[in-house]
Amino acid sequence: MMMASMVANGNRDGRQGEALVLKGVDPETCMIVFKNHWAQVVKILEKHDPLRSNTSSNMAALGVIGLSSGGPMRFGGPIPGDEASAVQNYVEHILFLLMEEDAGQAGAMGPILEFVVMENVMERLFLWSLRRQFTDDMKLEQLKMYEMIVGQARQPLLHHKPVLRPLMMLLSSCSGTAGPEVEAELVSLLNQLCCVLAKDQSVLELFFHTSEDQGAANFLIFSLLIPFIHREGLVGQQARDALLLIMSLSAENQRVAQHIAENTYFCPVLATGLSGLYSSLPTKLEVPGEEWHCLHREDWLQMPTLVQFLNSLEFCNAVIQVAHPNIRDQLVSYIYNGFLVPVLAPALHKPTLEEVMTTTAYLDLFVRSVSEPVLLQTFLSFILLHPHRHTLPGNVHILDTLVSRIDTPFQLGTVSLALFQTLIGLYCEDVMLQLILRYLIPCNHMMLSQRRVVKERDFYSVSAAKILALTPSCCSPEHSPPPLRQLDSILWSKGTDNSPNTGTMETEETFLEEDGSCYSCVIGSEIYLDVNYLHYLYNARLGISSCTRACQVWSAPYDGEDPPPEEGRQAQTTTDPAPTNQLELEWDDSYDAGPVVSLEAATAESSRPPQLPAAEPPKHIQEMRRTAIMLVKGSYIEESDFQDDVMVYDLVAKKDARDTVTKGSKEVKAHVADHNSNLQSPSAEVGDDLMGQYEELIRTLGSDEAGTGGSSPVKTVDKEFRNPVVTPMEEDEVDFSSFSMDTPELEKPHSSLFGTKLRSGSTRSHSVPFTGPFVSVLLSRLENMLDNSLHVNLLLTGILAQLAAYPQPLLQSFLLNTNMVFQPSVRSLYQVLASLKNQIEQQASTKKDFPKLITSAQHCLLARENSRECSPLEAGRMMKSSPPPQPKTISLARTEVFATVLFTEFLKELAAIAQEHSILSHVPMEE
Amino acid sequence: MNKQRSDSEEQSGEQQQQRASPARPSFGKKQLPSIPKNAVPITKPASPAATAQLANGTHASYGPFYLEYSLLAEFTLVIKQKLPGIYVQPSYKSALMWFGVIFIRHGLYQDGVFKFTVYIPDNYPDGECPRVVFDIPVFHPLVDPVSGELDVRRAFTKWRRNHNHIWQVLMYARTVFYKINTMEPLNPEAAVLYDKDVQLFKSKVIDSVKLCNSHLFDQPKMDDPYAISFSSWNPAIHDEAKERMFTHKRRPEDHHKGLQVSGLSWVKPGSTQPFSKDDNPPLS
Repeated sequence: MMMASMVANGNRDGRQGEALVLKGVDPETCMIVFKNHWAQVVKILEKHDPLRSNTSSNMAALGVIGLSSGGPMRFGGPIPGDEASAVQNYVEHILFLLMEEDAGQAGAMGPILEFVVMENVMERLFLWSLRRQFTDDMKLEQLKMYEMIVGQARQPLLHHKPVLRPLMMLLSSCSGTAGPEVEAELVSLLNQLCCVLAKDQSVLELFFHTSEDQGAANFLIFSLLIPFIHREGLVGQQARDALLLIMSLSAENQRVAQHIAENTYFCPVLATGLSGLYSSLPTKLEVPGEEWHCLHREDWLQMPTLVQFLNSLEFCNAVIQVAHPNIRDQLVSYIYNGFLVPVLAPALHKPTLEEVMTTTAYLDLFVRSVSEPVLLQTFLSFILLHPHRHTLPGNVHILDTLVSRIDTPFQLGTVSLALFQTLIGLYCEDVMLQLILRYLIPCNHMMLSQRRVVKERDFYSVSAAKILALTPSCCSPEHSPPPLRQLDSILWSKGTDNSPNTGTMETEETFLEEDGSCYSCVIGSEIYLDVNYLHYLYNARLGISSCTRACQVWSAPYDGEDPPPEEGRQAQTTTDPAPTNQLELEWDDSYDAGPVVSLEAATAESSRPPQLPAAEPPKHIQEMRRTAIMLVKGSYIEESDFQDDVMVYDLVAKKDARDTVTKGSKEVKAHVADHNSNLQSPSAEVGDDLMGQYEELIRTLGSDEAGTGGSSPVKTVDKEFRNPVVTPMEEDEVDFSSFSMDTPELEKPHSSLFGTKLRSGSTRSHSVPFTGPFVSVLLSRLENMLDNSLHVNLLLTGILAQLAAYPQPLLQSFLLNTNMVFQPSVRSLYQVLASLKNQIEQQASTKKDFPKLITSAQHCLLARENSRECSPLEAGRMMKSSPPPQPKTISLARTEVFATVLFTEFLKELAAIAQEHSILSHVPMEE
Repeated sequence: MNKQRSDSEEQSGEQQQQRASPARPSFGKKQLPSIPKNAVPITKPASPAATAQLANGTHASYGPFYLEYSLLAEFTLVIKQKLPGIYVQPSYKSALMWFGVIFIRHGLYQDGVFKFTVYIPDNYPDGECPRVVFDIPVFHPLVDPVSGELDVRRAFTKWRRNHNHIWQVLMYARTVFYKINTMEPLNPEAAVLYDKDVQLFKSKVIDSVKLCNSHLFDQPKMDDPYAISFSSWNPAIHDEAKERMFTHKRRPEDHHKGLQVSGLSWVKPGSTQPFSKDDNPPLS
């Protein structure tokens, strides 16, 4: 114990004096002292040596026997305490002399080290500690001794076998069961050894050789670290740091890499560890409020199990970053096959809403936490391509399930939206391809004549103007009272601004202050402008340029020519060999209108014989249709686990929404959970009962839809969102035709707007215009903006703005070009916005207090924004010190009011993005 | 132009770095006007012109934004065209006024360096075509000997939005010096001489070119920070700039390597399948 304390203190306190003294002493004296002390030690050692060997010990034989038996070893009787402490005392001095010795000339050993090597000092000391009771205390003592000399010696010690070998024996004796103190010390020493390795790779070879001497062909220090990979706290962190050092070593050292990949369980332990840690995460999160939609840092810091999981995930990320490709690939494969597929995939399909929502939030957090491209790719290919259900001939991918969940009315929908916000923010071509671009590549969504328009740019901000023209009259800037309306008087001049490029305007104040000289050339006169539009322009510029830069690594420009539209279509059809029939066209359309209708269409479809192969909707749409059919036919239940929960959530939700409002959402959830537990049980009666319920549901919902007026639900919906568009579209006819001179009169858009389907060629007639489920779901949720809660709308508009900032002409033209003419069955963002404007105008005209409510909502949002920007304390102060004429507060339940305010801001955001695109996307970035 | 762009690049660069530890954008992303610090609202009533809506439903107050962006778009087009021997720069004061200079490399006007100004009508793109006025009236059939204005209108009788662009005007301004047209001249003397006495025409042109070049180092006509001005070679300033121009051109790849690209793609070029690149690690 004495020695332990001495070593622990190092030469920091009492020993420092001695160290200083030693510096003045000449090496010869040190050597004499050393030999002297050693002689004393040897006397005691030999006295208790059972073999009575008087030269260097027969260490190897003894050691191995001792270690393999593992238990405490005693030779002869117990060693008297005074003798033990005497040895400790001498050893203390000896080690200091060794530590303080400088290397000899030209890297030769110093005389003391040479003596240590010749006399096998370290081995004999280790043996001595074995001979006494080899308790944890003893191990601790030895470990600390090595930690000290390894860390503080002035010459390399580990190169010498007589030093290294007893160290390795000590290490292996410490593996297995030991107290936490020993573990901590062991990991600390291992960490130190790894630092030495990282600095001096020549030692590495010796570590391997020494291991072989021990009869085990393993890389001991590495193997010893593996059990601590997932440990929490300092020990785990030290172990992971040490392992990372070895990982980066492996990148340059093929032998290490090969050993780790082939002879150790490093990768499997790491990956399955993730699974283990994941299983201890809460399966249901306690959500702070309705507004909550993703796990922020402050959320997960409160959850120790999640912190631990993220630590391990971060470690995987780091390993993949630095390790040899062999290790990297192996680890990635284990994470995919050992964690994502067996653990996360089922978790994403758990039976209750809360569980699924929780898993989705976790997945979002994981994707946000991973930075190394290879690991990100693993997660993304799991999301995009992992077939959750193996049904022939198509698969439902995780992505399809996630997309469909956006449409669930509960918090699951919001959390799913947040996940997609993360995914879109990755600027990943593969993600965007699967989500949207692959539906746009064939250019089926637009009229044939419009293909040339895809790449054209909007020189005169025509689209921005049309978008802004949708501003509801009740929200036009002139109608807002002063604090909200920040219509600064802006002079359209370049008097004082020193940025030459952008539309530089400054407020009158600055103009008057700084602009002494009178410039003759001022465009226009004083004009009142919505100042915050400048902020939107600025943000749009930042967003587009970073997105454009990121997309430089993409494989194609997606401009309607590359990838070529025809090939894109063929690719789509070749991957979908299943014969399909005409009716799927209906199903496709109805998908836009909501799952209720789709179910109905599917029901109708299932009762008819298949017809000629014609339309080929995307694979997963076919699959979802199949699911719907199964659901209706009852074969759904035969599937072993709960497959497409979304349908059910949705049905139940829709039904409940139609039921009395008195039912709380908790009841609804319980309701759902009930159904799910039923679904999971394989009992046939339950299934029958359930099917009865569903059929009933479908019937009632279907009749509800029909009851709203139209003969078919699809048509009703179509009318709703197309009618408002006609007026603005016609007005800009002129603009459009001038966009491309050669556009034949025949293909002018209004003919198609009124419902006449223009099939532009036989080659295209069989492919269904469809912009994909993701766009459909987003737009249909956007269309319900007035009923959505504020936070849902913030997410929705955020995602759409994110998408609009992408520079790919296909995407840009689809989302922002208000002059594009799309196929009648394709719904565009502009159409939805126009429909929303109409809804808002209608509300405004029927409700007298609407303008007042708008003002209140604006104040409320403003306060919210300000409180977000500064600390709560500051916000409170600010609100007190600058009291805006606070009108009576407005309940967030007035969703239509908040949505109206948000809608107006969203229009500005989109218009600003459209304007920035017109000057940014087409300029090569490197200039 | 360049300064501005590099600024925005830096800013977006910062954004990219944030992706490594993605922070979700704050919830309240929508911009709302902030409450002015001095709670004195601007009480000046908006002028009727500003509040009135245009016939096509556009809010009048956004008009200036559309004009400014239209001109910016035109300018980016000019850059993209890389017109030989022509350089333009919008003025500091107004986006409707561009300064330019044209270098004639061969032909009758060889070695001519002519400064000019482009004036764009403020109802662009629905107005007349932009005007081009040379600082010094160069001796040319189509250049007004008094005002220095080039007859641009003959080439763009009617300015058509989307079809006519300012780079075309600049291109035309260059062409007139290589291909002389004497029909309906603004400078009848030059036209007549060209047709009747080319030798004299040539010598007059040479004199005119000399005159223009002798005024090259004059102060710009317009008092504007972005007016184009020439100065004689000053190694202290110009050597370094030249060096930078050439090194930048020579090593575009190195330049790229330095930038950390934040986008991701595992799509094989020519494929439309995700994760189709060959170097994907095997997952199963």
